[in-house]
Amino acid sequence: MSKDSSEKVSRRDFLKLTGAGVIGLAVGSVLGWALKPAELREVTSTVTIPREVTITAPVVRKLPKDTIKIGVLGIRSGLWATYGEFIEQGARMAAEEINARGGVLGAKIELTFRDEQADVVKQARELVDVEKVDFIVGIDSSGNVMKVGGIIDELGKILIVTHAATHRLTEELVYNQGKKLIFRSSVPVYQDGILAAYIAKDLPVKKWVGINGDYEFGRVSWELFTKTLKSFRPDVEFVGEQWPKFGTEDFKPFISALLGTDGEALYTSIWAIELITLQRQMIEMGAYKKFRAVISSLGYSMDVAYALGKDYPTAELGTWVSGRYIWLYPPTDLNKSFVDRFRSKYGKYPAYSSETTYSAIYMIKAAVEQAESLDPDRVIKMLEGMVLMTPAGVRWIRPEDHQAIYEVPYGRIAHKGAEIPLLEDLKAVPAHMYYRSPPFT
Amino acid sequence: MNLEAFLTQTLVGLYTGSFYWLLTLGLTLIFGVTRIVNFAHASFFVLGSYLMYTFYIYTNNFILSLFAATITTGLIGVIFEITLIRRVYKIEEMYQLLLTLGIALTLNESQKLIWGTTPKYINMPELISSGVAIGYTNISYYSIAVISISLILFIIIHIVINKTLWGLKIRAVWRDNIMAQALKINPYLIYTTVFFIGIALAGFGGALMIILHPVGPGVGDHLIIYAFIIVVIASLGNITGAYIISLLIGVISSLATWLAPEIDIVIIYLITVIILLLRPGGLFGER
Repeated sequence: MSKDSSEKVSRRDFLKLTGAGVIGLAVGSVLGWALKPAELREVTSTVTIPREVTITAPVVRKLPKDTIKIGVLGIRSGLWATYGEFIEQGARMAAEEINARGGVLGAKIELTFRDEQADVVKQARELVDVEKVDFIVGIDSSGNVMKVGGIIDELGKILIVTHAATHRLTEELVYNQGKKLIFRSSVPVYQDGILAAYIAKDLPVKKWVGINGDYEFGRVSWELFTKTLKSFRPDVEFVGEQWPKFGTEDFKPFISALLGTDGEALYTSIWAIELITLQRQMIEMGAYKKFRAVISSLGYSMDVAYALGKDYPTAELGTWVSGRYIWLYPPTDLNKSFVDRFRSKYGKYPAYSSETTYSAIYMIKAAVEQAESLDPDRVIKMLEGMVLMTPAGVRWIRPEDHQAIYEVPYGRIAHKGAEIPLLEDLKAVPAHMYYRSPPFT
Repeated sequence: MNLEAFLTQTLVGLYTGSFYWLLTLGLTLIFGVTRIVNFAHASFFVLGSYLMYTFYIYTNNFILSLFAATITTGLIGVIFEITLIRRVYKIEEMYQLLLTLGIALTLNESQKLIWGTTPKYINMPELISSGVAIGYTNISYYSIAVISISLILFIIIHIVINKTLWGLKIRAVWRDNIMAQALKINPYLIYTTVFFIGIALAGFGGALMIILHPVGPGVGDHLIIYAFIIVVIASLGNITGAYIISLLIGVISSLATWLAPEIDIVIIYLITVIILLLRPGGLFGER
């Protein structure tokens, strides 16, 4: 497996990409540093997630409690239940590793799982009031994250979001409204909209069509994609757009309407089971004979990659896919070791929200250890500006909007006879170039 | 108006309509005879998909699996009918709704436990990639088969209900339960048989659709809404009405997707509201 993954990115590519990433991160860090208030500057530090679970740390009790309770919210029922499972897998793996190494300053991590589909506000309140959790992580849905974000000051606990992608969470709630308890370890809709345009601008096609979900995430990703692409390539045209609603089972009328346009390439941010259905029906209707390129921003989510497997269709100029982390990038020892351990534990490649949740738990560990306290204000200070080595690469927690800055590439679907389709021609852009930055105008 | 696009969207709409029909056929049949509004119907449809998946994995035979999934789903439906649903035939509708909703939730969660949360489908490349090029779209043999099978099913059910002795008994129970009993027709036997057929048809629909409609936990929650819109517009229990309305809704929504993509979903709900205001009993209602 690790052989496959290292083949995807040649050594030179890797050096180039890493170089770009490091420079990007350095520039970003310096910018962030300069913008940061003085009292925060001492707290920036680098923490590395341990590669193996072998050492037992000395137990020094500095916290008021023996356990750190973390509430984990995810979609655990219905069509998107896979995603709650992904979050749970990442959270469990991190907690087990940390506890096996002596916990956080001697305190064990204890996880409590709740289904965010069963009234997320009620679940969040119960986690805080009844379960007495110290932190909340997870949340898949953008709608849900805004609801919990709205009452976060009342809850009084730090929330680290690990999947929901609306930019409004960090731009509006954290940056504009100063809700400092909210953090996010996963890349937001910038990945789906803006970075996709970096891929599209290099493709020799001019006419694009889009099929996206008729809800906030779908609308925003298409808007960011079209705006960014137009700024790079004034010659491109957007000749068709379709908006299937949540839970669509039959995409054929939408596909057929798009086939009736003179579009040459297709963009979609449809995800999960709907994306699998969409791809199946696109194959059936001959869409891959018409569209020379397809960009599917969440096309390398593991549920999709496993379900489509060897049937994953490839367009002439590539089916370009991404996620909020992809297991074969970056080709670091830390990431390879994470992927290996995940595979031996769960039997599958890690999904993106497994990694983002895994890293969120390690963010908590690092911040609590530095703060030597569970007091949210002190932990927030430690999280702001933190630089953390994680499987997905170096994450920098931007102090202004509490967004983790790290890069995730796009790649073309390639069938190499592996368990799931692999990616080739990985394209990474330094995170600071495609993440929106404060003041978010 | 572009004729090519009109034809293509209409054909695609016929497929969509046939999909709806496979979903609603059993629902409307069960309501017509037993007066049970089966909220679990779409969950049985999904169960058919899952069973098809499992049978296909083991047998690698499409037709055999389709047959096995249909019968198995029907039998599971009968178990629920005999043990649970039979107890609520004669009491308030509210209890029937609660019971079938409970069955739906039980089925959904069991499916998650058995088949996991990752979506499943069966790939039949030769069925979906080859077909007839109509306009700018490929209408696959599979789509053509789904449209034809739906029509054949409609004809068969129509003949069975209206032209056979057994159909006469069903209609007798349907019209006047007490008089039927006076004629020595055992209504419970009819109920169970109709339940078996209705649920087996749901299983058949689900099993047939799994090629193009991957199945995952909770798919039924979304499908049941469409099924109810159709049977309500057609008037519950009317089989001919349900077939016509299924196809109409499919074609209208497909044309709306092409002509007015921003409001295509609204159009269906708008039509529902207007029809219910004008004819509260549904388009094909008797009262």
